[in-house]
Amino acid sequence: MKSTKVKVGVALAATSILALVLATWAIGGSQTRAASQVGAAGNAKAAKCGMGNGKKATGKPIKLGTINMLIPGVDFTTIAKIANAYFKCVNDNGGIHGRPIQYIQYTEQLNPAQQSTLAHKLIESDKVVGIVGNTSFTECGTNWKYYKSKGFTVIGAGVQAECFGTPPIVESNMGPRYSNIGAAQALLKRGAKSLIIASPNTIAAYADGGVLKLAKQHHIKGKSFPIKLPVTDGNSVALQLVQAAGKGGGVILDFTPDTAPTIMRGAIAQGLVNQVKWGSSTPIANTFMAKQFPQFDGKIFINNEFQNLTAPGPDMTSYRQINKKYAPKVDLQAFGQMGYMDAKFATIALLKVKGAITAASYNKSVRSLKNIKTDILCKPWYVGNLAYHIPNNYDITVTYKKGKVVKVDSCFAIAPVDKSLVQTRKWEKQFHLNG
Amino acid sequence: MSSVVAFSVFGVDWVFLKPYIVLGLALGGVYALSGVGIVVLYKATGVLNLAFGAVGAAGALITYWMINHTSWPHWLAYTTCVAFGGAVNLLYGVLFGPAFAKRDPLVKMMGTLALALILLGLMAWRAPAGGAFVRVLTLPSTDHSYTVFGAVVNLTQILALAFAFVLTVVTTLFLRYTRLGTAYRAIADDREITSTLGVPVRRVEASAWLGSGLVCGAAGLLLADLYTSLDYSALTFLVISSLAAALIGRLRSLWVTMAGGLIVGLVQAILTPYSSVTQYRAAAPFVLSIVALLWLGRKRVVVFSPTTR
Repeated sequence: MKSTKVKVGVALAATSILALVLATWAIGGSQTRAASQVGAAGNAKAAKCGMGNGKKATGKPIKLGTINMLIPGVDFTTIAKIANAYFKCVNDNGGIHGRPIQYIQYTEQLNPAQQSTLAHKLIESDKVVGIVGNTSFTECGTNWKYYKSKGFTVIGAGVQAECFGTPPIVESNMGPRYSNIGAAQALLKRGAKSLIIASPNTIAAYADGGVLKLAKQHHIKGKSFPIKLPVTDGNSVALQLVQAAGKGGGVILDFTPDTAPTIMRGAIAQGLVNQVKWGSSTPIANTFMAKQFPQFDGKIFINNEFQNLTAPGPDMTSYRQINKKYAPKVDLQAFGQMGYMDAKFATIALLKVKGAITAASYNKSVRSLKNIKTDILCKPWYVGNLAYHIPNNYDITVTYKKGKVVKVDSCFAIAPVDKSLVQTRKWEKQFHLNG
Repeated sequence: MSSVVAFSVFGVDWVFLKPYIVLGLALGGVYALSGVGIVVLYKATGVLNLAFGAVGAAGALITYWMINHTSWPHWLAYTTCVAFGGAVNLLYGVLFGPAFAKRDPLVKMMGTLALALILLGLMAWRAPAGGAFVRVLTLPSTDHSYTVFGAVVNLTQILALAFAFVLTVVTTLFLRYTRLGTAYRAIADDREITSTLGVPVRRVEASAWLGSGLVCGAAGLLLADLYTSLDYSALTFLVISSLAAALIGRLRSLWVTMAGGLIVGLVQAILTPYSSVTQYRAAAPFVLSIVALLWLGRKRVVVFSPTTR
């Protein structure tokens, strides 16, 4: 009797343990996805990375560094992953005159002390010659003075005001404030009767301000909803936004692909999709989102700071190839385009240096960059010796259509609601920065 | 016409609040059925199961994987979530239940907290949050929506509420009219005496763990859909709202637990659109359970032992 009970107990325990092991393995499978490679509508010849000579670089490494934010609800490390992929391509094609690039990557969790420590570590301990690919909600504000004191000019992908309003930081993107303005312009063009915008609460004051100014200029209702991340109740958020917009109003979502779907699902579940016009900033302009949300086909107007992921130009073709070869687990997306451009511009600056590559010579070279043509942007990119930099200030509008992202508005100027944008365009003409 | 009349009842804009009431009732339904599962388990074993949410979240993740990474039928994925909840709870109950049986309720509860933390750790390790995509688990019933009193309601929301009601009715009848239900009640009164009367206490407790676990799995599926995101840490800590419902029922009354769950869901939802209080809605379960415990215990006589006078 006892031995039977023991056998039954052991069998039960063994079965349960097996179930738990299978469950653990299964849960782990949830995290892996094959990258969705987008077939381009006709590839041009890919732009070469670095020297493009097919020879592996073997000399003394040139160190570059990056700090990317990684918090629940927002993962900016994609930018660094693709920048790293580009540098690997450079290293496989002759490096920088035979020297490979070593890319040191750190992540931070919105802690200013941590951000400061990492910046000091990169420059003083790791002895990087440059910082490339930084992306965070707050790191620009924490470290810009330090970077300026060290003579560094950081090429990154920015979010907060200091990323577009200080001398030592220049971004390949236009950031949420201007991207949101672009989305608002697209909605106004389509007759939106109000402009309601939702952004993460850590950046809302800056990111939403431009849209509110635009709403005021057009004498319509404008309202900002700062949202705490991570969003756990997309239904409530979607409902609040649509109720605030009213019938025929416009709702702009300013979230990354790890947050926006929650709110979009909430809108679908409550039948809210057709009640307002939807807009968004750049991060959700990718085919993964388009395939997930056919309900938004032709109903969401996404401001895209960059060319479509299927566009056939040389840099877009190169980006897709580099992504496939060196970062196959990463989906094609706007963050990838940012990482690609940051790395490309840094590589151009390195190749331009005559003589020893030091922090001083590299960063001086960065500041001299202008009229850098790329098919990923509407206009050539630049840095210049300016009080602040907003080189990316023209973009397109896209929407979802049958699982793809399609362009609906060609390159247009972001509305000059900010004085800084007005001044930037004056400098562009004065110093011939972008053609 | 009816919506115009309803507009100004009690000075509240009911038209504006209707969708939030729908959301609140649906979520409240899930808190209610989770609360009932917690209470039944507590009645049978004396264990307050803090791992309720974590088990449901893990089950939902498995379902997500089966739907998105295999070609297995979706009904199998949903069934697996429920079965997983039952299996994990049963395993815990069989392995650790007897060891904790004679310990006080706090120790028993801490044991389940350990299970919750282990599951959370496993989920964070094998399926970390973040990355370029978010996991979303949408049940097929969500695609069906109806207009009820001017508010859009989807079938999942209706099912959540209906399931809570049905579970409460079935469980009440089960406890009152079945031998197993009587055994649960007997064990709740006195485990030792019940054992000496020949009731197979461990098997009865194991059945309670299994039943409660099946409810875990079902709640995990519903919550992952109703919250529109498979955030396992958020789903894990939704057990707090279910615990509040169980506490309002004083871990005794299933009907009061159900009512408590619905009230918690409603209050949280109705507070949402008001910016001055929305950031406090996470505290609603705590506040409601404290108020309920104070109110329900207001007539209790506190007896001091002679030695403390």
